[in-house]
Amino acid sequence: MSEKIYALLLRLFPSHFGEAYGDEALQLFRDRTRDEKGFFPRFRLWFDLLADLAISVPREYFYAEPELLAASSQRLGGAPLFYVAGDESPRPGALFLGGMLALAALVTFSSLLSHGGNHRPPSSSARQFQRAAAPPSSPPTRPATQAAGDTNSPGGGGDKTIASTSGQSATPATPFSPAQAKQDNSPSRTLPLRDHSLSDLSSTPQPLDTRGSTQPTQNEAVPAIAAAVQHENLNAAERQRVVDAAIANLKQHYIYPDVAQKMADALLAHAKSGDDDAMTDGKTFAKRLTTQMRDVSHDMHLELVYSEAPLPQRPAEPTPESIARFRKSMEQQNCMFEKVEILPHNIGYLKLNFFPDTSVCQATAIAAMASLNNTDAVIFDLRDNRGGFPDMVALISSYLFDYPEYLYNPREAPTPQSWTPSPVPGNRLADKPAYVLTSAKTISGAEQFSYDLKMLKRATLVGETTTGSAHAGVWHRIDDHFGMGIPEAKAVNPFSKTDWEGVGVEPDVKVNAADALQTAEKLAETKLHKK
Amino acid sequence: MPKRKLDPLPSAAFQILLSLAGEDLHGYGIMRQVAVQTDGRMRLGPGTLYSSIQTLLQGKFIEEVGLREDAKLGQERRRYYRLTSAGRKLARTEADRLAGFLRVARARMILRGEYV
Repeated sequence: MSEKIYALLLRLFPSHFGEAYGDEALQLFRDRTRDEKGFFPRFRLWFDLLADLAISVPREYFYAEPELLAASSQRLGGAPLFYVAGDESPRPGALFLGGMLALAALVTFSSLLSHGGNHRPPSSSARQFQRAAAPPSSPPTRPATQAAGDTNSPGGGGDKTIASTSGQSATPATPFSPAQAKQDNSPSRTLPLRDHSLSDLSSTPQPLDTRGSTQPTQNEAVPAIAAAVQHENLNAAERQRVVDAAIANLKQHYIYPDVAQKMADALLAHAKSGDDDAMTDGKTFAKRLTTQMRDVSHDMHLELVYSEAPLPQRPAEPTPESIARFRKSMEQQNCMFEKVEILPHNIGYLKLNFFPDTSVCQATAIAAMASLNNTDAVIFDLRDNRGGFPDMVALISSYLFDYPEYLYNPREAPTPQSWTPSPVPGNRLADKPAYVLTSAKTISGAEQFSYDLKMLKRATLVGETTTGSAHAGVWHRIDDHFGMGIPEAKAVNPFSKTDWEGVGVEPDVKVNAADALQTAEKLAETKLHKK
Repeated sequence: MPKRKLDPLPSAAFQILLSLAGEDLHGYGIMRQVAVQTDGRMRLGPGTLYSSIQTLLQGKFIEEVGLREDAKLGQERRRYYRLTSAGRKLARTEADRLAGFLRVARARMILRGEYV
């Protein structure tokens, strides 16, 4: 019965439509009546059909007209022409039925309008997108002490490092203490600022681990040098004090006691032979001592640095206020995720200027990565990245693998947290091409990210050779102006004998930092095009 | 028949193209696939469905691939439709256009809280 009614209704359509699709439409009607049983589905079926009729019958007739208009444009010498809509006149029954149903259609149509209609563009894709943002299994909370390991030791590259760390004081570190803010203004040296400000963070009341070597240590065992060294012009006694303190530190803290002894002998020998006598400039002297130690140990993570600005006696203890300040500053700066966007050709772009602690910024990182989940390639812009926390390095890297991958970190022996928390549920980036943009300012944790992804052949590095600071040593203050970084743990590098300490991470594609984005975009486009 | 416009692409036509991206379907199959992929928001009635199919056929965005039975739906022979390469391109263009809107919405913070 209902099929007959619908067959009648189908006659409302123009005859050409009925001829072409009448049978199929009836077939579809039968399929639906068979599949949709019960009062509500049946009601919905008829509602759908009537709404469909109300919309598509007028449209079918409407679209028949332009044919006539098109024809009428072919004027023949100004002669009047008449066209008819069809070559068959409508059957009287159809006209009557049409008249009756026009009313029904009108009512349905107006009710459709008032209810907003069913035919909305789908928003399901957006919802799926959101679903894909499901958080990964929460990565192991990395104790902040590690961050101290990350950052509390001065850069390894001597002058180079110092130069690069200065001017980077607009880091999240700045909210920490007024003392640092003051140092901030001194253009020449900000290295200790970095160290101490971040070691502040290290003692935040977050789960700490006691993996050694990470707390900044005040060298109590070493004879403290109360008198501030005249830093521009060192005299022999001052040089001797620094050498003695360095030797004491080495013997007490260096991982290999025998090598420490050899270095001590070498430092003493150089001092006695008068090699250092010409050294009146603190910076040059520190560099010379670093070279002397490295000549013996071949350990690039060992260094002695000089700071023009007085080094604080003891890193300021973080207060709840300073922690709150740090958190707030991170939030205000969107956790240093400066830009997350999708470039043309569906290439994801993430500009990250710091790898912040996951205890503060995990949600931001997850959201940022989720919003790039459906891209075909990802560009990580680390050109202004000043390093940060290894747990964030691991979290971001985890999106690039679908299995846990070991991330080498020169600061520490492998722990369960040295593996990325992959696979991330719902993640689709594990097999997408990745690019890392580097500059000569890319440092520390950012160098770890670049180095590991390069060595794992998971990303193409585009830009400049990085700073070359692994920050693998633990910071020991010698006096107001001298301090040294001494590695106390040894991590075996699975990729090569050396890491980036002192030499930086070489990019795969060497271009000026300013051109790196453009180059990477082109590389990505070419790669996607080939697919 | 006059050619009706596919620019801008009506959402029904776009959904039909999407439904055929995976496999060849008959009319009822298209209707069900569209309902699934729009979470039940769009149920194409026969009029809309076949007029859209007709338009897409004329534009050579889909093609007929003959009559055959659908084992799940009994003995009746059904006409199957297939997406052409032009149709795939058209769907991709439309998807790009929508993705553009999404980007703008995100940039304008309309989607704040859901995306960064």
